[in-house]
Amino acid sequence: MKINLTVNGEKREVEVKPQTRLLDLLREDLDLTGTKEGCGKGECGACTVIMNNELVASCLVLAIQADQSEIITIEGLNCQDELHPIQKAFINKGAVQCGFCIPGMIMSSKQLLDENINPTEAEIKRGLSGNICRCTGYVKIIDAVKEAAHKMKSRGEDDD
Amino acid sequence: MKKQSKGVKDRPRISGKDFNQYKYFRPKSKKELIRIINGFQEDLTIIAGGTDLLVANYQKLYEIKNWLDLNLLDELKNIKMFDDKVEIGSMVTHQRLSKLDQIKELFPVLHQAAADVGSPQIRSRGTIGGNIVTSSPAGDLLPPLLIYDAKLKIISGEGSRVVDANEFFTGPKKNILKKGEILEKIIIPLKEDIYKGAWIKVGKRKALIISSISLALNLSMDRSNLIKKARICIGSAAPVPLRIKTAEQAILKEELTKINIEEVAQIVSEKISPIDDIRGTAKYRRQVALNITRKALSEVMNQ
Repeated sequence: MKINLTVNGEKREVEVKPQTRLLDLLREDLDLTGTKEGCGKGECGACTVIMNNELVASCLVLAIQADQSEIITIEGLNCQDELHPIQKAFINKGAVQCGFCIPGMIMSSKQLLDENINPTEAEIKRGLSGNICRCTGYVKIIDAVKEAAHKMKSRGEDDD
Repeated sequence: MKKQSKGVKDRPRISGKDFNQYKYFRPKSKKELIRIINGFQEDLTIIAGGTDLLVANYQKLYEIKNWLDLNLLDELKNIKMFDDKVEIGSMVTHQRLSKLDQIKELFPVLHQAAADVGSPQIRSRGTIGGNIVTSSPAGDLLPPLLIYDAKLKIISGEGSRVVDANEFFTGPKKNILKKGEILEKIIIPLKEDIYKGAWIKVGKRKALIISSISLALNLSMDRSNLIKKARICIGSAAPVPLRIKTAEQAILKEELTKINIEEVAQIVSEKISPIDDIRGTAKYRRQVALNITRKALSEVMNQ
């Protein structure tokens, strides 16, 4: 079955099977391996992408269900050669250890900040509640989201 | 070379053109849906949000043959407000329920339960209809629907029927739906009463957790501030979401401040039939049932 979708602003046409997951489509067909597979059950958030302005676990979306949709993955965040403010903040704050969860963490952070540029710490925790990190203990990740919010707010625009 | 995901044997190659033997239906209208149900005789697996189905079937995805995907049915995504009722389409997501001010105002317990489901990633896909039809005793929207006396409209090739949500569930993951029947919408009656409600979910962590036990409470008060109608429903502590009718009776016509909290808590704890499982022992659940009933009643007293 052929589906058409927009991935990171680019129109793509892909042949999929009914059991192909959006995650498989991104990683294996489109070679966008920034999106990770952790649990495969929607619990860890490593496969998080933004689909039609909503956060989804791409392991729990069938590729066919992404037909006609608009997907943003971690690869679609940077503007030309410049990193997204959230990515910069994660680097500045040292919020990354092994890094496996980070693409998902950053996509959830983006969705959170797109909806609410001024989140409280509780709101950040809730926004990231679908993402598990086994290294950092989350403190620096939360610091990074705060810094990103501050930078994005003071610049007055989101440059995605 | 493409690597296979861990733990999955014989998963078919990702891209291919050889799957014509199976069907993937994506009806866009109720008419088309009914035509498919009537016309297609082989096994159909119905997928709504997929947050349960795709987890349960991931290890054996290739066993699902023909899919019926409800995600393009915009008619099932409506929320309609009437003077005497609210109709919620079965494909409305937890996300929408948890973000709508009208739901928060009219049905705060349902609103809170929807906001507590899973995670942002789960709430954006999971649907109220999926929660109902999956019929897990731990389905978090079920106790709230029962305390609001929700009705369910079911459609099929032969017509439609409306049933009380309280009569829909027959056991763990079991319900009265017959083959070829689809849950179309949830109808919640509106009364002019003043409502006071509470939602308590107990689990090992806040996000992404299946409830160990949950409680939904709704009291409607009459003009002299006596309890006119009481609804207490417990989730995850019986084969189905369970209304504790004895406890509801016990506080009828009482003044809110004069409720015997201990008596109600004892009844609730005795009437449930919890089991030992990975999320807690039966003994633990009975104890927690006591505590959350006390807490819920104290909460409504202060509203």
